[in-house]
Amino acid sequence: MINHYIYDGSFDGLLNAIYKAYYTPDKPDKILSYEKREDNFLVKEILIDTDAKKAKKVYEAIDKKISPAALRKIYYAYLSEIDGIEMDILNFVRLGFKIGTDIELNLANEAVFKIESIYNKVSHERHRMTGLIRFKELKNNILYAEISPDYNLVGIIAPHFIKRLSNENFIIHDKKRNISVFYNKKEWIVREIKGDLNIIFNEKEEDYQNLWKMYFKSISIKEKFNPKLQRSNMPKKYWKYLIEKGG
Amino acid sequence: MDVLDKLRILSDAAKYDVSCSSSGSGRKNKKGGIGSASINGICHSWSDDGRCISLLKILMTNYCIYDCAYCVNRSSNDLERATLTPDEIVDLTINFYRRNYIEGLFLSSAIIKSPNHTMELILNVVKRLREVEGFNGYIHTKAIPHADKRIIDEIGLYVDRMSINIELPSENGLKLLAPNKTKKSILTPMGNIRNRIVETREEKKKFKYANSFVPGGQSTQLIVGATEDNDLKILKLSEGLYDGYNLKRVYYSAYVPVAKSPNLPVLDSPPVIRENRLYQADWLLRFYKFKADELLDENMPNFDLSLDPKCNWALRNIGIFPVEINRADYNTLLRVPGIGVKSARRIVAARKFGPLNYDNLKKLNIVLKRAKYFITCNGKYYGMSSMNPEKIRKKLIYGLDRNIFEKQLSLWEMGGFNDKSLHI
Ligand code: SF4
Repeated sequence: MINHYIYDGSFDGLLNAIYKAYYTPDKPDKILSYEKREDNFLVKEILIDTDAKKAKKVYEAIDKKISPAALRKIYYAYLSEIDGIEMDILNFVRLGFKIGTDIELNLANEAVFKIESIYNKVSHERHRMTGLIRFKELKNNILYAEISPDYNLVGIIAPHFIKRLSNENFIIHDKKRNISVFYNKKEWIVREIKGDLNIIFNEKEEDYQNLWKMYFKSISIKEKFNPKLQRSNMPKKYWKYLIEKGG
Repeated sequence: MDVLDKLRILSDAAKYDVSCSSSGSGRKNKKGGIGSASINGICHSWSDDGRCISLLKILMTNYCIYDCAYCVNRSSNDLERATLTPDEIVDLTINFYRRNYIEGLFLSSAIIKSPNHTMELILNVVKRLREVEGFNGYIHTKAIPHADKRIIDEIGLYVDRMSINIELPSENGLKLLAPNKTKKSILTPMGNIRNRIVETREEKKKFKYANSFVPGGQSTQLIVGATEDNDLKILKLSEGLYDGYNLKRVYYSAYVPVAKSPNLPVLDSPPVIRENRLYQADWLLRFYKFKADELLDENMPNFDLSLDPKCNWALRNIGIFPVEINRADYNTLLRVPGIGVKSARRIVAARKFGPLNYDNLKKLNIVLKRAKYFITCNGKYYGMSSMNPEKIRKKLIYGLDRNIFEKQLSLWEMGGFNDKSLHI
């Protein structure tokens, strides 16, 4: 029999799966979110309850016994939504409980290296998005941005924008996952969005977009034209929402 | 004239200033204010020439009383001119910032009426951004040669970075091409800024609430290829600026022929590869503890355009190599071509858990294309049959210039060449 742990897809759920892997004899061969479960005759599915207390225990154990940095890396790896990442996370945690803080240096280990490189990819896209997000001003002065990143990162970019736009209302809408961050000058939440939003732009919005397009065009040095370099720094997949690139 | 036209003219005029960085300052947002700076800087777009766009980089005006031969804004040039008002600059900055187009403002200017008058106008803009708008994003302004210490000292309290461009790497060059400027008119304000930065840092240690002055440091720009100055001279100048003037960055700009003058060289295209080599060497000075004299000397005063400065240095010092990856200390690892700061750190960390072999290095994402000729792993050499610098050189150049090869291949596929003419 092959054991599949099935969790609800949340980070807390995943922490519960880790908890279970420690305290029951039925060790998992795969950990899958409910959405990704595989129907298979040979599989024994073990459903994981999402218990906030147990999640907190695992969370704190990783934070204290391994390191806050390790916790961050695990969280970013989880946000990557890459198939099979849950088992890598479990293996990373297992090793981490054995060797402690030093785990991050042990890059020759496969699980460590995998978590490290996925963490780097997610952080890289997060950093990119801090620059590439474009807000448009709506009629009621709310700033609204659309994105469709590879990784599920609205929750980890929100704090960056809250710091700088603390005095604005804004929405960052992940069109790929249909979720949005809402910020109202005080608090922020991440919510699922169903259906289309009714969007009316501010009357000045187009002027600023035109100014930006003009700026983008005239700041480039024609004699040094280098579209290849441009694309390697700013891959085409991000152009869809870039005003200066026709988005 | 409307703002759109002004923006077109004044950003076009600012485009040759290559500094675009928004790094070095961790300015925080204040209550009710807008914006903050990111210590590592953030790029918001990349223009068609592949350069990072981080700041709204504009001239306040392109009317100029000076007549520098290499510059489009020189007074004798027949050119569409414009001036942005402080209101317009403030509005553009804030609204571009809110939409996340930019990290902040880089305000430069040609010289209108007098250096001091120009600096007063710049002061007006930055003061309003900080005090009226509560703007805490990044601000970089130009300091203008001949400007008074008094004004520079005041502007420095509001901005994150100041730069005064040297442009021409020698006094002779200045005489020939920028007769209104002198070495002294550039180096004096640069020295003032350095001194104020050092003083305020000391004050800040004593009084927590002392004002900071140009927390992101100062930078400058050198034009490459408008004068006869060789790479050794340019790199020595940079080294002096880093050591003596505490500069954060020196930027290099391949000269783009914008004017005809008997004192200017005739170029088909800007010397961009040379510019790139200077950036690589500059990097070696700042992060790899190289000295200018190690990279170039009177017998070889210019960089090899076909191979990067670090590879070149390694080949000329082939006796030091190969180094053993499991024993070499951090600084020695840094000198291996292809091994950068990140890779060196990774190696030092990972080998604590046991000796590394060649496959381990690959797993650590160490790029071995260049490094393999200069290292051993557990005593084994993976480069060639012998360490012959001439042979390694050929391998490196061929290996690194693949792009050119591929480009020609793709031209060929498109029917640009017939197969007989392709002899590489
Ligand atoms: S002073 Fe500056 S803007 Fe004026 S001509 Fe000289 S380089 Fe150009």
